[in-house]
Amino acid sequence: MANYRISLAAAAVLLTGACHASAAAPAARWIQAPGSSLTFTFDQAGAASKGAFRQFSTELVYDEKSPATGSLNVKVQIASIDTQDQERNEMLVGADLFDAKKFPTAQYVASSFARTAAGGLEAVGKLTLRGVTKELRLPLKIVPTTAGLELSGATAIKRLEYGVGQGDWQSTEGVADEVKIQYKVVLTKAK
Amino acid sequence: MSFRNTNRAWGSLTKALHWIIVILIINQWWIAERAESLKGLEKLQALAWHKSFGMTILMLAVIRLVWRWLNPVPDLTSETKPWERGLAKISHVLLYALIFAMPLTGWLMSSARNFPVSWFKVFQFPDLVAPSETLFHRMNDLHHLLFAVLVVVAALHVAGALKHHFIDRNDVLKRMLPFGGVK
Repeated sequence: MANYRISLAAAAVLLTGACHASAAAPAARWIQAPGSSLTFTFDQAGAASKGAFRQFSTELVYDEKSPATGSLNVKVQIASIDTQDQERNEMLVGADLFDAKKFPTAQYVASSFARTAAGGLEAVGKLTLRGVTKELRLPLKIVPTTAGLELSGATAIKRLEYGVGQGDWQSTEGVADEVKIQYKVVLTKAK
Repeated sequence: MSFRNTNRAWGSLTKALHWIIVILIINQWWIAERAESLKGLEKLQALAWHKSFGMTILMLAVIRLVWRWLNPVPDLTSETKPWERGLAKISHVLLYALIFAMPLTGWLMSSARNFPVSWFKVFQFPDLVAPSETLFHRMNDLHHLLFAVLVVVAALHVAGALKHHFIDRNDVLKRMLPFGGVK
């Protein structure tokens, strides 16, 4: 019995050792902490206007030494949209724009990262917004902080490709097709 | 008609600015009235026009005030009574103040509501204040109140001009008419 226990412990040690050997440094899992922001800039009747999503969650698997093995998962609560105007917020979550009732969340999922020509990092993934899934590469800047990591970057998407804008809102006269997105996520190591 | 004012007559630039602003103000009122009953994209577009024209009025008001400082102001007739002169002075000061205050309160409203102001999609004006619902409501009320004051003062201004023309039978109205005038 005692021998059996010892051999089991030895096997466990061997197994963990084997795992370590196959993936030299297991990528750590990071989760979103307070202080993160997801904002967007849209052109409304010729004027750049700002808004934000107040509720979203981020999960990052990232290893500095081999960034390509990472993954990123972001979930955005559409109803948390905030453009500092109640009437406009209600209009945005309505059926003709985000249709938050039918599509309460937007999601970005990337299972690998790549190096850009300029030497930067980008997530290679897909954005699902208003039920439409499209490939999207997100430029990422990941820097260590005292609390963990900070992920930041900016991109632009075309709202009409995702169907954000039905009926009257298909026109780009009032609101331009291109919407800029800015993100800054504070991450701490998951336990 | 000369470009500049003289001691007896308004120059062409002053007249042009006067009448362009009159037309723009009437147009502003008409767009704002229409926008009230619109929704969604149409309202957004109507208000975008209202803001573009409003900022045009503000820029013209600046030119107009500077031009007034750089030019002589034709005097009223010698028969004009002191109380008439006083009333004219007050209404002119108020009208000048209003062509600044109306667009400025509108601009403040837009900034406070996080609906920045573009000038006909050509360029964007900076926001004057950070978004604030309280400030938006205050500026909105003020914008409407100032319009009511504008209607009253403008009516007084028109009444004065008509009195000069039909009762006193002098040139005060004629000299501001686009193509009429006094040598």
